[in-house]
Amino acid sequence: MVVGNIILRLRGSLEFKCQLDSTDVPHVQKVISRTFEALGSQVKAESLVLSLSSSPVFLWPNKGGHATAGEISPNRPCKDLQQLIQTDDQESSRKKSAKKDKNNPTAGIINLTLMTEVTEPGVLSAPTLLRGSKKHHLLQTTLPMDCVVSVLSSESISVVCGTLVGALCSQLGDMEKVALRHMKGTALLIPQPFHFLLPAPVGLVTVVYPAGVPDSQLETQRKELHSLFELPDDRPYLRRANALHFPDEPYKDGYLRNPHVHLNHPALENGKPYLVQGVYSYHHYMQDRVDDNGWGCAYRSLQTICSWFQQQGYVERAVPSHKEIQQALVEVGDKQGSFLGSRQWIGSIEVAAVLDQLLGVTSKIMFVSQGNAECFRELANHFLSEGTPIMIGGGVLAHTILGVAWSETTGQIRYLILDPHYTGAEDLQVITDKGWCGWKGPEFWDQNAYYNLCLPQRPKTI
Amino acid sequence: MGRGYIVEDVVEKYLSNLSVPGASCVTGLLIGQSSSQRDFVVLAVRTPQKDTEGQGSPSVSRGAGNSLERLDVEWVTEHARQVSRMLPGGMSVIGVFLVTPPELSKEAQNTLRRLIFAVDKHISKGRLWSLTEEDVTEKVTLHICSKTRKVVCRTYDVRDPKSSAKPADWKYQSGVCTSWPLLTCSVGLNLVFPVLEMHVLPQDMEKCMKEGLQTWAKQIEDGLCLINGDAMPGEVELLGGQVKRSKFQSRSIHFYVVYITSGHLSPQAEPQSERRLTASVKVCSGSLTLKGMVQCRAYLHSNKPRAKHATEVIKRDVINTVSSRVEMFLEDLLMEGEDKGTVFVLYFSLGVR
Repeated sequence: MVVGNIILRLRGSLEFKCQLDSTDVPHVQKVISRTFEALGSQVKAESLVLSLSSSPVFLWPNKGGHATAGEISPNRPCKDLQQLIQTDDQESSRKKSAKKDKNNPTAGIINLTLMTEVTEPGVLSAPTLLRGSKKHHLLQTTLPMDCVVSVLSSESISVVCGTLVGALCSQLGDMEKVALRHMKGTALLIPQPFHFLLPAPVGLVTVVYPAGVPDSQLETQRKELHSLFELPDDRPYLRRANALHFPDEPYKDGYLRNPHVHLNHPALENGKPYLVQGVYSYHHYMQDRVDDNGWGCAYRSLQTICSWFQQQGYVERAVPSHKEIQQALVEVGDKQGSFLGSRQWIGSIEVAAVLDQLLGVTSKIMFVSQGNAECFRELANHFLSEGTPIMIGGGVLAHTILGVAWSETTGQIRYLILDPHYTGAEDLQVITDKGWCGWKGPEFWDQNAYYNLCLPQRPKTI
Repeated sequence: MGRGYIVEDVVEKYLSNLSVPGASCVTGLLIGQSSSQRDFVVLAVRTPQKDTEGQGSPSVSRGAGNSLERLDVEWVTEHARQVSRMLPGGMSVIGVFLVTPPELSKEAQNTLRRLIFAVDKHISKGRLWSLTEEDVTEKVTLHICSKTRKVVCRTYDVRDPKSSAKPADWKYQSGVCTSWPLLTCSVGLNLVFPVLEMHVLPQDMEKCMKEGLQTWAKQIEDGLCLINGDAMPGEVELLGGQVKRSKFQSRSIHFYVVYITSGHLSPQAEPQSERRLTASVKVCSGSLTLKGMVQCRAYLHSNKPRAKHATEVIKRDVINTVSSRVEMFLEDLLMEGEDKGTVFVLYFSLGVR
């Protein structure tokens, strides 16, 4: 993210309504285009109003950025808008949340809502009622506008307003293309915008996808975009699951995401960490009303890994339940039917089998007798190239490894461990304070035990 | 503790000047504004007489006998509805009055009760906005004895069909509404109502329009009013900071209202399960387009009104104005009859309130 920039997000609905006098394709396309054109004019009209969320400020972008609140004049820098936003939690007692903001580049985003002024000054015109008697198809929907712009914080409000209106117009253009491309007869798929944070120098982009068409059928579109943005062609960046998660939108499923980012780095001299890439959810004992205390640790580690593949866009299926995991193992012949509904443990071999069966993901199995430099090098390379969470099973326990760190000067090694044996609630403070997610030293390894590691590999796909 | 009605002097004059020959009864409407603290009556108007073309005179009884029983309640309520349509925002029919000779004074209360419930029911029909918890549902009934000019004032809660009469104060004052703030705004309309294929009869068209208007009314209700260009929080006093004006000053304070809507129903109104993937398609045999602009006015009492009252009163006037225009159009449409194949028909509204 560019330092000194502010992100503004404008959302709202525009009503899309058109009359189709006939259903032959050229006519339909002409009418749809004309309707989008009209919406473009609507967006450039003086009646467009932007409401600054959580504040009493309203802006008229097509009237030079005129605003309601007296202290905001169009020449003021747009960063002044932030001061007018009333936040709910002024006192942030958790010191951890400050760290969270540092890591998340979209913290401090300005949200705006799209609105229309219906008051019309000027000449009075008595209402008239027009009755049309032509047969037609009426197409109606609301377009979910969602624009994000990144501007210099010193940029004036009037210029920023112009940028936002421009973003709306170009999004309408994108929506028109998507609508026409995927239209069948009179069925118009609703175009939906998604935001992606692509690696530098590209940054924030918005892509419009048609609703209801699964990612698997949009590969051509993604290929075009990958080459346009010069993205590598072997890993997903633009699947819907890759969409940027904004800090002010809580995850609805209740699982914690990436608890490890809230930890301090391991206390190592010249320690360089090699960490998991992307986003995973923390799965552990007792979640989803399943009492797997004492036997489900490998299942939970497997769920964490599945959540990673889902959130990086490799799969669309939801994280499997214990039942589904057991079912998969019976299907591949690894287990007998009596396995279903049991509390039998599984190991890294079974984890790899399920990843293959349910997600189409292959894994490398590594055999380790205890943590040492050899093992460390393999793990570090894994996090560099694949970046997936690792399931480790051995002795009587299973865990997830999220990273390793090594000190050049002392030769000490540390392991970032996510422990599935936690039985409490999704309390980030407890989980990080008590080390359920934390850096461990060599004491983590049992000298007398043998360990099998499952290292999931990224499929080569976009 | 009963309600207190502050009544304009002119109302007293009007009521005392009413000509009530002999043993006849006169009904009429009381117009004003109710607030949680106080109620104001600014106008009284008697029910006009029906044409005496063999239909009899419902409000003026010629002979002896109980004219109260022959009272044409429907006529009174229809008059109330028409008057209601013509009132600016903030003003409504908040009660009825009845003048009777002394011998009918006893039954007068029953009649008044019947009248007020019927009037309220008829006026509320087809209303596109909903009452809130803060709305006052007590309406006033006034009985005047034609001989002694004695006045009996009672209120009924029209929300409760079993409610009993409660005593209320009736006080005359001059210049009650001279300094009432006025809110104005002009709202643009561009609404298209589809007429579905199977709906060709004028009655069906009425249904289509009413449904479409309901959606539009919800948008207006959810919309935001900027008073003099300012988004005032609801609890702020509208007249706060203004120099206290004497009641005898003739100029009232004028607020211009800017109306902003989000152009769609609030997200909470759309249940998740109904999120569509495609645009909805309706096969239509025609359409009705409502275009133009309506001027809306609303008055607010001057007894410490808050911004939220102002917003409410102008919103309701916007909805009522458009709603009654459309009603008038539909009445024309019904008279016109079934569509005889004309492609476009234009209806003009000549009345400007």
